[in-house]
Amino acid sequence: MENAKDTFYVTLRNRLAALNPNRVIILRGVQRPGILMEEAEAVVPQMPADVFVVRWTGLEVDGQLPSALAQMMCEIHYTTGGTQTNGGLDRGRALEEMDGELFSILSPNSAQKTNYTQRPAVAMETKVFWGEPQFSAMTTQRERLTRVTKVTVFAFQEQGEL
Amino acid sequence: MADALLRAGGGMAVSLLIAPATGDSSDAGQLGVNTPNFQQLPLSPAIFRKARATMQEDQLAQYELLVSASAVQQQVSALQLISADALFDTAAGVLINGAQFLIESRSVSQSLGQVYLYRLLLRETHALLQTAS
Repeated sequence: MENAKDTFYVTLRNRLAALNPNRVIILRGVQRPGILMEEAEAVVPQMPADVFVVRWTGLEVDGQLPSALAQMMCEIHYTTGGTQTNGGLDRGRALEEMDGELFSILSPNSAQKTNYTQRPAVAMETKVFWGEPQFSAMTTQRERLTRVTKVTVFAFQEQGEL
Repeated sequence: MADALLRAGGGMAVSLLIAPATGDSSDAGQLGVNTPNFQQLPLSPAIFRKARATMQEDQLAQYELLVSASAVQQQVSALQLISADALFDTAAGVLINGAQFLIESRSVSQSLGQVYLYRLLLRETHALLQTAS
């Protein structure tokens, strides 16, 4: 499953870098596209604003098929307070922009599964694919607008995985 | 004065963990595959103690770390940061006697407008302690 998770994250990251090169974050001394995998970063007291945070939650495995099919729930959290230039009054527009970016980078909804634990990364035999995003209701916490979008990610387990 | 009091109270050396000057920009570095190679910045003198007894089930023990402001200022100057806040904001935790702790909150003590002590509230991490093979 780890290869599928890694592939999903790297795919979204590369697409985001191409779509909006200005959405960046400086993390551990490196500037990178504004998306991060929460479980692979240090614990922070508050979710960073204006970036996508990928969190993995549910897992189901269908073992009745010739190859086991893993179904993983991915939550993509994002929050914004707008821009300082506009005094935060554009926070609604900023969230809508992130909604649009997320919708764009999730399409097309498949990618070649890749093993990133090897150098160079090795393309695997099967693909990772995912369903339509489910955008949750926006929550407001004072000046911060937050949304969680759920995506179900599927991947067949190849030999040596699971 | 604060340094003397901290030493008299059993002053010890702890290390602040911060990201390396040259970050890891590889895919593996962003996926939790590569070790982060945090820099260990020594802070001394410091006093480490349990903040309060654990009274409820599942309530994590919290610890308090009192650090000399002069030690913090040395590291702020060495890294050419603008403030101690910037230093603590970039910290991934504190290493004390080989165990890693997360910073939950921090506060300062001042005298005549000068910070002389930093008080960090810490929590043990659940990361496994790896022994060198």
